[in-house]
Amino acid sequence: MKFWLVRLASLLLAVGFAFGLESVVGHQFPSIYRLVVLAGLYITLSVSLNLINGITGQFSIGHAAFYMVGAYSAGFVSKALFSHQPLVPQLWMIVMALFGACCAALTGLVVGLPSLRLRGDYLAIVTLGFGEILRIVTQNIGAIGGAYGMNVKPFGSPPQALWLVWLLAILCVAVCRNLLKTAHGLPFLSVREDEVASAAMGVKVPKTKVTAFVVGSAFAGAAGALLAHAETFISPDTFKMDVSFIILTMVVLGGTGSITGSVISAIALFAIPEWLRNLQDPVTKDPIQIPGPALVASIISVVIAVALFKAVQNRFHGSKPAKFGLYLAAIAAGFVCKLAFTPILAQAPGLAAKSFEASALRMVIFAATLIILMLIRPQGIFAHHEFSWSWVAKLFRRAPKEATA
Amino acid sequence: MSTTGEKPVVLSLEGATIQFGGLIAVNNATFELQQGDLFGLIGPNGAGKTTCFNLITGVYKPTSGTIRFQGKEIGGLTPAKIAQMGICRTFQNIRLFPALSVVENVVVGAFLRHRTTLGSAFAYLPSSIRETSALKKEAMDLLEVMDLADVAQARSADLPYGKQRRLEIARAMATRPDLILLDEPAAGMNPQEKEDLQVTVRRIRDDFQKTVLLIEHDMRFVMGLCERIFVLDHGEEIAQGPPEKIRNDPKVIEAYLGEAV
Amino acid sequence: MNLVAGLDFSILPQQLVNGLLLGSIYALIALGYTMVYGVLRLINFAHGEVFMLGSYAALFTSWLLGFSPEAVRGVDRPSTWVNLVVMLLVSMIVCGLIGVLIEFLAYRPMRNQPRIASLITAIGVSLFIQYAGGLFLPQSPPPAISEQVNPYRNEKVSIVLKPAGQEIVAQAADATKKAAIAEKAYDDAQKAGAPADKVEQLRNDAQIASNDASRLQTQVSSQTSGLVIPYGQLGMLITTMVLMAVLWFVVQKTKTGRAMRAVAHDFDSAALMGVNVGRIITITFMIGSALAGAGAMMYATVLRTPLSPFLGVQPGVKAFVAAVLGGIGNIPGAVLGGILMGIVETLVVWLDGLVPGLSGYKDAVAFVVLIAVLLFRPGGLLGSSKVEKV
Repeated sequence: MKFWLVRLASLLLAVGFAFGLESVVGHQFPSIYRLVVLAGLYITLSVSLNLINGITGQFSIGHAAFYMVGAYSAGFVSKALFSHQPLVPQLWMIVMALFGACCAALTGLVVGLPSLRLRGDYLAIVTLGFGEILRIVTQNIGAIGGAYGMNVKPFGSPPQALWLVWLLAILCVAVCRNLLKTAHGLPFLSVREDEVASAAMGVKVPKTKVTAFVVGSAFAGAAGALLAHAETFISPDTFKMDVSFIILTMVVLGGTGSITGSVISAIALFAIPEWLRNLQDPVTKDPIQIPGPALVASIISVVIAVALFKAVQNRFHGSKPAKFGLYLAAIAAGFVCKLAFTPILAQAPGLAAKSFEASALRMVIFAATLIILMLIRPQGIFAHHEFSWSWVAKLFRRAPKEATA
Repeated sequence: MSTTGEKPVVLSLEGATIQFGGLIAVNNATFELQQGDLFGLIGPNGAGKTTCFNLITGVYKPTSGTIRFQGKEIGGLTPAKIAQMGICRTFQNIRLFPALSVVENVVVGAFLRHRTTLGSAFAYLPSSIRETSALKKEAMDLLEVMDLADVAQARSADLPYGKQRRLEIARAMATRPDLILLDEPAAGMNPQEKEDLQVTVRRIRDDFQKTVLLIEHDMRFVMGLCERIFVLDHGEEIAQGPPEKIRNDPKVIEAYLGEAV
Repeated sequence: MNLVAGLDFSILPQQLVNGLLLGSIYALIALGYTMVYGVLRLINFAHGEVFMLGSYAALFTSWLLGFSPEAVRGVDRPSTWVNLVVMLLVSMIVCGLIGVLIEFLAYRPMRNQPRIASLITAIGVSLFIQYAGGLFLPQSPPPAISEQVNPYRNEKVSIVLKPAGQEIVAQAADATKKAAIAEKAYDDAQKAGAPADKVEQLRNDAQIASNDASRLQTQVSSQTSGLVIPYGQLGMLITTMVLMAVLWFVVQKTKTGRAMRAVAHDFDSAALMGVNVGRIITITFMIGSALAGAGAMMYATVLRTPLSPFLGVQPGVKAFVAAVLGGIGNIPGAVLGGILMGIVETLVVWLDGLVPGLSGYKDAVAFVVLIAVLLFRPGGLLGSSKVEKV
């Protein structure tokens, strides 16, 4: 009885959260609304890839393909059936999400089959290849818009999809977390750890691998279906190889196998470029300009700071506070370098006159963040840990102790 | 003990042979294990002992000959299927699930008796929660027996070598096999650990009623433990029988020491 | 026309040669992927970007040599082969250095970390170079420049495999002659200030005659099956073969090459046996990147590809596929895979005649071939798929 009460409460909490978000964000600009929708989709994508990649250990780097299959199958059906949708849009979107999930799951089944024969990097390139093949095929089919993309407008105006997107994200997180909480998660983990030993313990290795692919791709497909209806326009370019790489990066950066990590890094990695894209001067509202010398000086000093940071990390074995101090010193050294190099570089002809818009720099900064994070924390932000309340409690309990010591 | 009377045959190999290209790794192996046997498989390096294990557990498919387990032909079945039928093994080069905790390793073994569906786990239904805690409890009991309960929550990769070997046995035991295959369980152990292991293996047989087939290099360990021994050399049987007979068999001595002394 | 089931067989040999040329570039890039994978088990996603930087190095060198767009506008400056060699060498050296720099800054600190972390770093480096390049590097059309730089642009080797019928050749020659006469008559009339209707008449005649001539010429050329290889492309093929021969010599016959093979075989044992692993990795990156640089120079100059900071992505991916196809880590495999990839790609375009629209799938075919091969040979064409020992 108590169990079901808790279950009911958590379900209500999830739905309440989704609707709360919808009502808060719904009053914002459409651009912000769109960003929150996309962030929710990226959470689903990275957590579902984590199931395949991090939990089951199947090195798949073509996740955008499933996303695309979901988007195109659902989009096509909606477009073909209705010029204007008479039903309740949200209900129809749920149906379409299920449909997209089924189509993507079938694709996942097909892509998962080579995983029975191929390992590691070979599997990776095959999954990547499947993604590219599907994308190029889509590009060449005129009926779904070819390279120009497809307009999906079953509803007069874009529907309120945010709450559905976030419910899907919560569902995906919940399913993965539940899997890991019960004994059913162990075969998945054991396949990642050692296939031969798993088989010897009676784990049906092929079935486990294919299940991971099917479930993971189904979630990606549902996300794609919601994308198609929320954006009302999809094109093959939305699902390029880079998207797969970014999803993979979210998984690894968060910590392979950690659901919490996937969620956090999905939001962070999605937010950084978007935030930079819209970066404006607070007073004049102009896009921020970064002068050339300052930019080059920053690049050089970041390299120096990271090198120093790494050196401290690897070579210094003293106490924790001392190490922390040295980290700060490394970062400070970076700032000093930047201040020192800027006037020197300003002498360089050609560079001094150049300046760059912050939004043009966003992918550079994104890539640099990626490299730096991997260099200083290769196991990912969360490593293999998960968020739990006891962990938070421990954090708070320890903090004052160290402060007094 | 097990010397009197005919007991049911658990495992029988008849002319089991496997060939890799031109190399015959195991040739015409023929032996029988009866219920409750403590059977040793010995032979010099490269004699084909582990290959023999791989044949029985389905890693390789025999080129010819039959392997029967409780009367059923198992040659060529998948390892998972064979494990479900009741044969479980350990590995010569320890193959734990390094990032999983000790108790999780054992639960993987126990998991083959799961009843709930994957869907119930996704939905976190009470049935799968109950099952999870039941399997965990079972695993903890086994760890207790194997004297590993104190490290149950540690990462299995962090255990010392001897405990890793014991954990492998615990994991195999968790599948509740009728026949357990131990591949060099005493390798790398010191004399004290070996003695403890002997006790453990006996307990597996006596208390848990398992049939045990083990490969071992340490002659004293095998002779002191096994009731029947099968000697392989270059993939072929050179002797079979109780320890006393094997100890004095000229062919065995030759195989181990080169020329007859 | 020489059509069978919509396919023009007379151009098949030419297509195969084109495929070989493209394939040899893929092979040069694939070698870099495969060598780095061999020693580090790392998919160096930034390799395509090194290739891109190599093509820019070649471009800037050509500017420094006096062939910048401003300098060559409207003048036909003579060039010599020395310019090409200088561009090739500069591109190779620059790429070699960049490769070493990337290894030192991004991969070396990751040496003892999980492989997936290095892979993400590689993706990061690749994105960084692409987008940072986008800030500093110009989009440039190299063909106009390479026209000038390439002294052999008008000279070519023609090999006739099957000449056209005597009759049609004679007809074509006749028609060409007639067209020239008609043209001259029109010119003369125009100069002499003949009446407008006369000039118009002559102009029409000349037009018809020249149409006739070109139609017959087309027939002749479609009946002739043969190869036309510009000197530049021939040089490129020879250069590629020389570079591969040098690589083979280095890997097989020198002490460094032996050390490289040892590291590829077993990283830890090689280190224990006294191989300076760090140095070998540096050298591997240098050689692999220099080969990509050579490929980049030829890709830009001889195959006349427009330059952009994203130039490296497509050939990079294809070369990587080629490396996996041949068996990643296997040097002859990379060459085989690369050439196969190039030929398959041009053949698909050729097969467009049979299946209209097929050429749109040109970029997908690389992957189809790869998946088909891997399903039957999980270790690639020449690679050995290791069976895990239990």
